[in-house]
Amino acid sequence: MIFSTFRPALQVLHPSKLCTANALRQIARPQLQSTTHTATPAFQSLFSTTTKLQKKSLKNVVDPRITQIRYHLNHPLTPRPLHFSRNRHLRHWTIHRAWLLFLRRRRWAEERSLERQYRSMYDACEHLRLLDDNGNRVSEAEGGGQGPDAGRLGVKGREVGRLYRGAMLKRGVWGSVPIEYARVQTDFPPRDGWNHDWTR
Amino acid sequence: MASIKPSLRQFSTCLRCVRQAGNSNGSLNRSPLRLFSTTPNAWEEVSTQPTTPAAAVPPPPPPPAKDSPASETQTQAEPHSRDDLMKKWGTLDPKLVENKRDERRLLRREGLQPIGSRRRRAVLHRNSIRNTPEVPFEQLPYQCFQEARKILAEDRQEKIKAIETQTLRLNNLMAQDVGVSGGKAAKEARIRSMQNRIDELVILADINDPLVKKNFEDGTGDMNKPIYRYLADQKWRKYKRLILEQRVQQLNLVPDLLPALDLKVDIDLAFGRKKIAPGEFVDSRISETLPRLTVQSFEPGQKLVTVVVVDPDVPVPDKNSFTYRCHFIATNIPISPTETSIPLTRIEHDDVKATDAKNKKIALSWSPPWANKGAPYHRLAIFILEQEQGNPLSVEQIKKTKRQGFILRSFVDKYKLKPIGATLFRTKWDENMAGVMERAGLADQINIEFKRQRVEPLPYKRRTERMR
Repeated sequence: MIFSTFRPALQVLHPSKLCTANALRQIARPQLQSTTHTATPAFQSLFSTTTKLQKKSLKNVVDPRITQIRYHLNHPLTPRPLHFSRNRHLRHWTIHRAWLLFLRRRRWAEERSLERQYRSMYDACEHLRLLDDNGNRVSEAEGGGQGPDAGRLGVKGREVGRLYRGAMLKRGVWGSVPIEYARVQTDFPPRDGWNHDWTR
Repeated sequence: MASIKPSLRQFSTCLRCVRQAGNSNGSLNRSPLRLFSTTPNAWEEVSTQPTTPAAAVPPPPPPPAKDSPASETQTQAEPHSRDDLMKKWGTLDPKLVENKRDERRLLRREGLQPIGSRRRRAVLHRNSIRNTPEVPFEQLPYQCFQEARKILAEDRQEKIKAIETQTLRLNNLMAQDVGVSGGKAAKEARIRSMQNRIDELVILADINDPLVKKNFEDGTGDMNKPIYRYLADQKWRKYKRLILEQRVQQLNLVPDLLPALDLKVDIDLAFGRKKIAPGEFVDSRISETLPRLTVQSFEPGQKLVTVVVVDPDVPVPDKNSFTYRCHFIATNIPISPTETSIPLTRIEHDDVKATDAKNKKIALSWSPPWANKGAPYHRLAIFILEQEQGNPLSVEQIKKTKRQGFILRSFVDKYKLKPIGATLFRTKWDENMAGVMERAGLADQINIEFKRQRVEPLPYKRRTERMR
């Protein structure tokens, strides 16, 4: 009856367990062994990153499991977590914000550039659409190509916007030769080939 | 020599950080460590003494080694002398201690950890000795940081310019004829959107400033400025408001007391020094006195608010249901971003002193929350109701409100109030409740105990009978 009540205490004091615990402690604090603090009693040397604070509060005994967990988490080989100091963090934050601002501006500039290119292409197509064979500009009513159908002819018929219609022709664009090799639409050679009868 | 000294100190500071290795090899190894110091250290004198030909002279007594194990055990045996010894160490500033010995002493005597890295502490210590002023944060000589600051400053200038143009446009629009700007509604919508844009730009102009961030984190930001209000609002919405909203929803304040609630102000509830999380059970003894409210508004300008405390869980045994009870009403309380505290106790004191009826603020005085034994918990909801356009309400009229069967919806509609914030705590029967009820004049209620109605089970039927 009495022995059963004392058993847990006896188990704690078992010599083999004490040995292992001491061995672990010695592994845990190899550096402290070399310093002048060899006089610290065995039960004082609980593992902690703040040894002296632990030493101050000797009364509250730490659970050995917690000690084990601490030991394995804060192993001397494990690097200590990196923290910036206050000012360092603020400087880092400043630089980071400036970098984000820079990225944002660059993205904005890229978007504007693309938009400008698109507008200029659009203007060129619009110019071609209203261009007749003599290189004159016709009015909106005379030119063709209004609405979604680019091949639509205007009042003046095929003479107006010939290059525009050709440029808008998407037949066979995706199936064969890549579009990068396509011929640029030009006003020459003329539709009826070489004029052999021409004399000065 | 004098001109050289500061640089030497710097050098020795760095060297002190280095662990001194191999001190058993005599003075040969140690001499490079001594460097420029003119006089040898005490321990060097001691170690070099035996090598001198005058060996017969007894060596001087060794300096008191405070860290040696022998003296440590000795001091542990005599705590009185240890305290005296500790006093001799002088003042140790956790920001300035720079060598291992002083750090150790600081930990041992004061129980304080040193602040910052040893390198930083050494620099600060040196600066404090030399009285060098600290470099302001913006002028810290880091190239990338300075380049970043340039970019941010440029951006800020752009934003300020944009604010100026936008303000000019807004003024032009305000001066414009309604017919030109396409109708009254269209003009108002444009004005609103332009004002929103200006507010946004004002925030954007300052949001990248590291000093603003620092001030806000330190809690020294001026809440009259829009940027600090914005930052505080964001912080509140990220954590505290989510919790409050969840509690309000879980404890069903919204359909039970008000049809809808958009929380706009941050409320901290406390009884004396004890802070109460939303929905927490509060001991009846603690809630016997008036609470202290801290209401942080994030919108500019002063508002007049009415504070109402309602208990929606008053049991009505006759009808087998519940009713409402009003515990407190105070009106015409000013709040603003800088004026956050609502000290209800002080307001009550002022009310007692006030001779003029117009200066009184409390319409219904605090009746301590109480619950009968065995009854389910009572929710005590505290509402902050904004008065329309800052118009003061008549306390005399509100005083006619009946406590029992108080309906918040009709109260809000009657006085044209707008709920901007709410919080709550709960109360139930506890060991102090009897005393609280007696002091509140409810002695007849103390002995009433509620019991759950027994639900009679359905009569048993045999399986065969059920099948039929």
